[in-house]
Amino acid sequence: MSGAARSRVGLAVVVAAVALLPALESDFQRGLDSDAVIIALLVLSVVVLTGFVGQISFCQYSFAAIGAFTVGALMDGHGWSFWLALPVGVAAAVLTGVLVGIPALRLSGLLLAVLTIAVALFTDRFLLVTGTWDGFSGGAVPWHPERPSLLGAPLTGSYAYYLFVLAILCAAILVVWNLRTGKTGRVLRAVRDSELAAATVGLDVTAWKLAAFGLSAGLAGLAGALLAVRIGSVSPGSYDFLHSVQLTALATVMGVSTIASAPAAAIGTVFGPELLSGISVSSTWFPLLIGGTLIVQLVLVPEGAVVRTRNDIARLSRLLSARRGRDPAVAGASR
Amino acid sequence: MIASLSGFSLLPSYTVIGLTLGGVYALAATGLVLIYRVSGVLNFAHGAVAMFSTFVAYQISVVAGVPSIIGLAAAVATGAALGFAIEFLTIRPLTGRPPLTKVAVTIAWLLVLQTAAGLIWGSTGYHRPVQLVGSNGFTVPLTNVVVGYDQLTIFLVAVGLSLGTSALLRWTSLGVQMRAVADDPQAARLWGIDVDRVSAASWMIGSGMAAVAGVLITPLLNFDTYSLTVLVIDAFTAALIGRLTNLPLTVVGAILLGLVQYYPKAFFSQAGLSELSTFALAIITLAVVFRPGLATSRGRA
Repeated sequence: MSGAARSRVGLAVVVAAVALLPALESDFQRGLDSDAVIIALLVLSVVVLTGFVGQISFCQYSFAAIGAFTVGALMDGHGWSFWLALPVGVAAAVLTGVLVGIPALRLSGLLLAVLTIAVALFTDRFLLVTGTWDGFSGGAVPWHPERPSLLGAPLTGSYAYYLFVLAILCAAILVVWNLRTGKTGRVLRAVRDSELAAATVGLDVTAWKLAAFGLSAGLAGLAGALLAVRIGSVSPGSYDFLHSVQLTALATVMGVSTIASAPAAAIGTVFGPELLSGISVSSTWFPLLIGGTLIVQLVLVPEGAVVRTRNDIARLSRLLSARRGRDPAVAGASR
Repeated sequence: MIASLSGFSLLPSYTVIGLTLGGVYALAATGLVLIYRVSGVLNFAHGAVAMFSTFVAYQISVVAGVPSIIGLAAAVATGAALGFAIEFLTIRPLTGRPPLTKVAVTIAWLLVLQTAAGLIWGSTGYHRPVQLVGSNGFTVPLTNVVVGYDQLTIFLVAVGLSLGTSALLRWTSLGVQMRAVADDPQAARLWGIDVDRVSAASWMIGSGMAAVAGVLITPLLNFDTYSLTVLVIDAFTAALIGRLTNLPLTVVGAILLGLVQYYPKAFFSQAGLSELSTFALAIITLAVVFRPGLATSRGRA
């Protein structure tokens, strides 16, 4: 079996296991699994923005809020179907993302990062506050969007909904993966590594940055909408600035340059708090764990946990094949 | 949002509050600019450092009842210690790494300090402010505007410290060294300046100023872990008006921000107006003050 086919089979086995194992779990646990999958989607949105074009954002949860509140308002306030409200919510998030990215036309990345804090605070302390625009934020009574049916099968059960969000995550990863490996990926990496050099070879740097902002915000908006329906209620507190900070930290711990950090982050968010409660520590300590890990890691392992582990495994396998007396380069070529 | 014209009569007293708030922003922003200029790092944890230090003062003065001035001193010590820890443990080892990495480290500190403070002091709920001076005051002659002694003290201390920092940079030996490091760290090293020591000093002084700003602002806002951590955006907005380099202009920007945040409240009762004003001022500043390539052209950012 060739290496590519083998890794494809391996991937299929992993996806099947991830899809099937929660069948054995409790409803509560499956709810947490769905949350983890949604967080993976958010981490993916950070990977697109920070990993691909090198832009730090403190307002990913604001994009998520745009998706969540649009879906909440359209479904609960106007009686729309989920399947109509979802694309509108994602489109609204994409539009917001492009609007936030427009200052990228003239600002350096760090100043834009400062602006994203202003955007985050504007969203969670003005836009979503009761009295500003109750038709959007729901005012004093939060929206209660209900879970939809897919092809006649209701997604109300915790396992059905888990499978639904997992399928969406897989599709999103595939899309981003194709962008990453194709021409777009090369362009985006060129923009990240040196904007000046990218512009010199004729790339429209700002347009690509805007596109990355749009895609990233769209993914975050999608995640927000899925989260709204998963919880069955939309409230501003779940989308504030600190959530965005925690998300950025989580994605950086895993390594923003690789798509693999999205599922890794999901696993971390499922097992991290459980690990803590295992040693009888409250799960409210989890952000402290992420932050602490990030500090230690940036100083010691700046490339991120996933990349480092992958490099270590590659080095180990080279070492092992060398010990077996085979030249690793030849062994690689013979596959 | 319903506008009321009677708001005009509120303007004089709102000017007093706006100036007080602006003074505190000036102090926080000056610390931010000092750190950025000397060590080249945009410190996103600035508000979190202020918050954590302020809660130390809260613990000492409000919970334990020790005089406020001792609480303030403890807060400054905490701020300076945190500034030193951030610089020594996490910024210095990252010398030569991309700006993104250094920014990420300050984000991590933000998260750690925020979560730790939430665990120790509770993330929501009412906290009694740290009152340095009694809140009685005097009436400005020929008007009916009342100025609290606490407001006057806050404004004078904050603006005094901010302008004092400008003086420190201009006239003291440490200040000259700081400016040398800010302009060209390598050349400064060649001239025998201990760049690491100067950089650590900037983090300690800058974070100490954040601590003072945090303690001073407690009577002026809903004092909890979140509201102080997001003080960083007010400091940033003021610093942006000063192009992240010019301290006197930063002070002017900060006072402008304080007024811009408060005046709309005289006419509208909507919550979140301060954030709206900050957002608008930040956007306008970025659009007007910054041209492509400016401000971060130092390359070390």
